[in-house]
This record gives sequence, structure tokens and C-alpha cells, in this order.
Amino acid sequence: MEQFLQVLLSGLATGSIYALAAIGFTLVWQAAQTVNFAQGEFVMVPAFFVLVAMNMGMPFWLAMIIAMLVSVFLLGYLFKRAIVEPMQRQGHGNSLSLIIVTMALAILLKESVKEFYGAEAQPYPALMSSETWNIGGAIISVTDVLHLVISLGVVLLLTLFLDRTRTGRAMQATAQNPGVAEILGVDTNRMILYTFLINAALASLASFLITPVYLAKFSNGEYLGLIAFIAAIVGGFNQIRGALAGGLLIGVLDNMVATYLTAEYRAAIPLLLLIVVILFKPEGLLGTSEGRSV
Amino acid sequence: MLELKDLYGGYGKITILNGTSFKIPKACITTVIGPNGAGKSTVFKAIFGLLNISSGQILLEGEDVTGLKPKQMISKGVTYVPQGRNVVPQLSVYHNLELGGITAPDQDKVRERIEQVMDQFPMLRQFRDRKAIELSGGQQKQLEVARSLLLDPKLILIDEPSIGLSPNLVQEVFSTLQRLRDQGVTILMVEQNAKAALAMSDYGLVLELGQTRMHDDAQKLLADPRVGHLFLGGHLEEEEEA
Repeated sequence: MEQFLQVLLSGLATGSIYALAAIGFTLVWQAAQTVNFAQGEFVMVPAFFVLVAMNMGMPFWLAMIIAMLVSVFLLGYLFKRAIVEPMQRQGHGNSLSLIIVTMALAILLKESVKEFYGAEAQPYPALMSSETWNIGGAIISVTDVLHLVISLGVVLLLTLFLDRTRTGRAMQATAQNPGVAEILGVDTNRMILYTFLINAALASLASFLITPVYLAKFSNGEYLGLIAFIAAIVGGFNQIRGALAGGLLIGVLDNMVATYLTAEYRAAIPLLLLIVVILFKPEGLLGTSEGRSV
Repeated sequence: MLELKDLYGGYGKITILNGTSFKIPKACITTVIGPNGAGKSTVFKAIFGLLNISSGQILLEGEDVTGLKPKQMISKGVTYVPQGRNVVPQLSVYHNLELGGITAPDQDKVRERIEQVMDQFPMLRQFRDRKAIELSGGQQKQLEVARSLLLDPKLILIDEPSIGLSPNLVQEVFSTLQRLRDQGVTILMVEQNAKAALAMSDYGLVLELGQTRMHDDAQKLLADPRVGHLFLGGHLEEEEEA
């Protein structure tokens, strides 16, 4: 029982980090119909910004702030302005072309990091100490608890922002019915930009939390991007709580399988989950099958 | 109130408006009728800044508003209710109304206006916290009309308000529009349901192939046999030749 609780908690902790990436993925999809296959690299890259900043002599906390700002600019603002917008202006915004462009971007980011920083996994500082608490026999990792609290806290703040502020509701209107948002005078382009910025911030946060576990490596994005994508689909693809549930579920399943069944096939678990969900509940666990009218 | 002068425009390379011109008076309801593809909805999009205008002019109370964006048109006192469903499905009725005033600098006033608008449409108050998607089609249309009133517009462009509504709901929407007209709001409406629409309008305007063919008192148009023919697929020129 004690072991089960430990495995569950650390699964939830990792899952909540996956959820951050998955939520960003979903938000960008909703707002701009952009399936961002570079999402995993968006989580991989910010950790390297931290390392670069620290190599320049900055303290860890400052390096994280700088890395977050740089990521929001590059992976949020520039991604939208330099890649998504020109594609959409040429009429490829809703098509396979944009997906392929994000795949190319993923390769570019991955190879650039390898070129400029090296192919070896780099040690990466942990956000907090690796203390543990002993609660009724279960060894609870403080890091896990903090990961869970930070991730869920950010998701809660994001939800409150979207539901309780006028800007958040204007963003929802833009995502749900862009034509209507426009005729009501909502600055839809700005709302979509906000979404891209939020996505980059979520990806950076996920990067800061997950990299101490994985170490900083150029190829980290491959698995993370796949997980974010699967979590979003499993959860329902069109809503935050779906992506959250999907992320948590994958985290827990992954951990449970690795502990109780086999560690060798753990990477197959998210894919199996994806297949099962698509076969039996194609609209996603929390999704609704409402169509999107274009 | 609103004047279109020799307007040309369309989607991409396809021109839909071929020199559309007309003038509509203040505080009246003018209904635009015409066969499918005549450019009725396109005229509205052109006025509201959702269409590329290649030439011509749009004057609002004498002021040139050609090519202004939707947001700017709203600030000039124009609102647009497109055809079909135009609510934000997952937001509450109240928050849908609030979006109607999103461009207003004074949000306290918007909240006051929402209360006033809900007084006019008691159904909306009853369902204020319900998601818009959960309303019936007629209720959603009322929500859209109510939302378009939030900033006290001078001119409302309303496209096919009767689509998908039961006859008594259509009457309800029409009488709302008449009430607004009596309060001094100018209304320009497109309707497939030409008979019913003309019957409640002050003026009628027949659009064909992007040009104004007839513009007269609604009652006169209603009595004009050519109007009937037009909707049976004939063309006005053929009628005139015959």
C-alpha cells in the first residue's frame, strides 16, 4: 500500500508536468488550429537557455527568469509572427503544410541544440532539494509534491484567468467562434498571440520541472512531444481539463506499469492508451463530439 | 443615414458587388431581398469591414467609413448580426452579452447596459448563467440581437434573422426590431422570407447580381408583381423586355 501511494504520487507529479505541455498544445490548437509538432522541443529548449544563462555567470533563479522570457519571445511571439502567421496568410493555416512546418521546426530546434551545445546529456540543477517525508511508512518525495503543487497551481491560475477575466473570456470567444469574436470587436489576432505566449510559458515551466529528472538533452523533445500530443488526444483535444486528465493519466499509468509490470515496455504505454481511446472513445475521455464549423 | 456609392468588391478574385448603390433613411427598417447569390450578405460584410472593397464608397451619416475594420465600425455605432448561430457556445448567456460591449472603455456602463438589455429580454435574465449552447435556436437568436444592442447602436445590420426560427419566434424578433426602430435605431435587414419581412418594413430594396434593381416603399414592393417573379427565378430585365 505504501509503495502504491509512492508510485501514484510520483506518477501524478510527472503527469502534471506532461499536462502543462499538453494544455499548451491544446490551447494553441483551439486558438489557431495549429497542431504544433514542435511542442516537445518547446519543452526541451528552455532548459538549455537556463544552462547558457548560468554559463554566463547568472544565478540559477535569474537564469530561469531570463530563459522563461527568451522562450516566451522566441517560442511564443516569434513562432506565431514568423512561422504561423505567414503560413496562414498564404492560406495554409488550416492544412497539413503548417503541421509539416512545425515538424521541420522541431528538427531545426533539436539539431541546433545538438550543434551549439553538444549531443551529451547535460547535468541540470534541480529546482529543490531531494528530501523525502516519511508519512505512515510511505516515502514521499518533496520534489514530487512540489511538482504537483506548482503544476496544478499554474493550471488553476490559467483556468481562473480564462474564466474570470474579460481578456480570458475574449480568448475563449476567439477559440470557440473566431468569426463572432471579430464582429464583436475582439482583437482576435492579439488573443491568439496571448495563447502562443501562454503556451511558451507553460512549456518553459514544464522544462524547468522535468529536465532535472531527464537531464538536459537535445533529444528530450521527442518523447515529451509525443506524450503531450497523446495526453491532449486522450483527454479530448479541445479542452484544458481534458489535457490535464490525459497528462495525469499517462504519468500514473507509466509509473504503475514500470513498477508493477515491466519497465522495458513503459514507452509503449502511452501509445497503447492512445489506440484504446481512439478505438473506444474517439472524442476523448472528457471530450465532446461537437463538430467544429469552419 | 447610410449610403453606398458604386461599390465593387468580393472574395478573392470573384467580384460579387458590381457597383452596388443605395441610400437608407434613419430610424427606418429597410429589407434587402433578392435571389440567392445576389450579394445580400456580401453587402453587409462590405459595410462592416469584413470584405475587400476594390472601389466605391460607404458613407455613414455623411462620413466616409469605407474600409474601416469591424472594431472601428462598432465605435461608429454600427453592429452586425450575421446569419446562422453566432453565440460563443461555452460561455454563459451573461458573458456572451458582455462580449457585445467588449470594445467599450467604461465597463461599469456595460454592466448597467446588460441589466437593461436583460429587462428587454427577460428570457436572458432567466438563463443568464446557462451556457449559450444550451439555449434553443430562437433563444440564441434573441441573445445575438440583445448582444448587438449593448453599445446602443445607431445602425443594426441583421442577416436572415428568421432562419431556423418558428413563425411566432420570427414575429417576436420582428417586433423587437420594430420597437428598436421606434426608438430611433436604423435597421438594415436581409431576409429570405421576403413577404413577412417586407410586411414589417418601411422600405424594401431588391438586389440582383450585386446591383440595386428596385428600391421603394416596402408595401409597394410587396404589391409589385415583378418582385414575385424575381423570386420564382426570373430576371428583371426579361420582365421589362416582355
